[in-house]
Amino acid sequence: MAAPLCALASRTQRSARAELAQRLAGSLTPSLARGQAGVGRRWCGDAARQKSTHFGFQTVPEGEKAARVYKVFESVAGRYDLMNDAMSLGIHRLWKDALLRVMNPQPGLRLLDAAGGTGDISFRFMAYTRSVHEQKLRRRARSNQTPSWQDITASYSSEGAGPPQSRAVVCDINKEMLKVGKGRAEEAGITTGVSWVVGDAEELPFDEDQFDVYTIAFGIRNVTHVEQALQEAFRVLKPGGRFLCLEFSQVSTPLLSKLYDAYSFQVIPVLGEVIAGDWKSYQYLVESIRRFPNQETFKGMIEEAGFARVQYINLTGGICAIHSAFKL
Amino acid sequence: MAALIRGLRADRLVRALGSVAIQMGRVPRGNGSSRGLHRALVLRLADDSHRDQTVPPPPHHTHFAEQSCASDASSQQEHGHCHASHQDQSGEQEEGYETEEQLEARILTAALEFVPQHGWTVEAIAAGAETLGLSAASAEMFNNGAGELVLHFVEECNAQLAKILAEQHNRVQLGQTEKKETAEFLRDAIETRLRMLIPYIDTWPQAMSLLLLPHNIPESLKHLSTLVDDIWYYAGDRSTDMNWYTRRAALTGIYNTTELVMLQDSSPDFKDTWTFLDNRIQDIVNMANTAKQMKSTGEAVVQGLMGVAVTMKNLTGLNQRR
Repeated sequence: MAAPLCALASRTQRSARAELAQRLAGSLTPSLARGQAGVGRRWCGDAARQKSTHFGFQTVPEGEKAARVYKVFESVAGRYDLMNDAMSLGIHRLWKDALLRVMNPQPGLRLLDAAGGTGDISFRFMAYTRSVHEQKLRRRARSNQTPSWQDITASYSSEGAGPPQSRAVVCDINKEMLKVGKGRAEEAGITTGVSWVVGDAEELPFDEDQFDVYTIAFGIRNVTHVEQALQEAFRVLKPGGRFLCLEFSQVSTPLLSKLYDAYSFQVIPVLGEVIAGDWKSYQYLVESIRRFPNQETFKGMIEEAGFARVQYINLTGGICAIHSAFKL
Repeated sequence: MAALIRGLRADRLVRALGSVAIQMGRVPRGNGSSRGLHRALVLRLADDSHRDQTVPPPPHHTHFAEQSCASDASSQQEHGHCHASHQDQSGEQEEGYETEEQLEARILTAALEFVPQHGWTVEAIAAGAETLGLSAASAEMFNNGAGELVLHFVEECNAQLAKILAEQHNRVQLGQTEKKETAEFLRDAIETRLRMLIPYIDTWPQAMSLLLLPHNIPESLKHLSTLVDDIWYYAGDRSTDMNWYTRRAALTGIYNTTELVMLQDSSPDFKDTWTFLDNRIQDIVNMANTAKQMKSTGEAVVQGLMGVAVTMKNLTGLNQRR
């Protein structure tokens, strides 16, 4: 009743081409977008008595945000990886590699890749643990060039154990993203060790004390109740488990901030339209980055959820930040 | 070593992406509320018998095993945040929880058991954490990785040595044992300390290389100087002049060289090492004696020259008063 009206009011239905033409004419600024949101806010405030939250620069009822985010990612799923490369000029790969290096997982751990989507973090995790394991074997072999007969006998008896198997679970609310991820896994030949589960980060379909590492890369800003997601992360982690979050954050220097803003609002939605045929989703993307709390605030939220040893590392001048915490 | 270089290279890559500012989350929270560690099992390691000894411990020596929470609460040091002194969020008594420092110490102590197998690496720390019931991922809690494990071990050994020396001192005070000669005391102290390395002697070169990394040097030098200072203190040195420095420098040299000899010693029970130690201590003693002799000889020579000068003055008649 009230909700669909709000939806209509806050998002006038125009054809994508007309929007593109208008915005390329140079009239798009963040303030304009906020003006539109202002109209929507008035409608929503009167009509709906439920709590509202931000959806990019708009305000929407809480119940709606999840559905809208779902629609956004449903429409971008097919071109998600390509768009990531185009928008970040390939730097997102370096960010994800940095996350893995910070994680530094030993073989045999269980990873929960929340909002894992197309599985970038999980694939890297499997590759990393595999290479660590191989390094260990190589080192052992090097120091064991001429084994005594006792060593050989010992190696026979321990052969049954086998290497500790690392396992990654990719959990995402969006089936389309998971489908794309599964396709990538098959192409890459990663058959064992990675599972794909549909689930909501605010209400994970797992028991408690299950995982050694919980990561959420570029996903937590899409969650309606961030605190709930953090609490769920705390719940499913084992004691001693690690929480890692890779997310866009506040840029520290003003010059970089200006360049970044210009790039975000002028270039990215255009790329979205040209490559993926979807202006609005990428508009949402850059707006949602601005609405996410900054490094220190998010650190406080993580501490509130019960984590200890919360630290953050800025990447690329603060465009991204890795937050790390432990359940102790 | 290769792993270290790889790790450093990885660090450099991350830094190359712009500014990598590691913001340490160690600022005590403004509202004053603290948090005990939910999964901590053990009460505090405090063992107050250490405090009741008759000889006051050397002033700089911190009681590593017992962080007095009350004293830390007011001093807002960066490293010494002790949460348990305040009421924590769930309202538990402070005895039921431990601080992060104590948990870290427990993990590192448990990790020492795995050092012969894995070396001084993060894997050993991960294995140690697992024995305590924590996930292996918690080994990444230590920003300095293997370096922290080595420094923790060195600190523990020094604390143990200080305890042993204090006990010996007490026994001497109470008259139960004879007081040792300085040379013998030094020799025994260094032997005791070096014997603590024997279980890890195969991997000790790796540990030494970790201690020599630039970011670890301040800490390791601090531990070394604490060690040497403790030994001299219990040997009875209360000097306040240049001797303080020369004695400690000499003992540092002896300790380091003996450690190196021990690494490549293959004699039964490290007999050769102790022989080497004996000889070095003897060298120091001889040098001290020689220095004393030289001083007295020098004084005697000067006296003699003065005598000759006065005689000459007498002979030439310059000494007479007119």
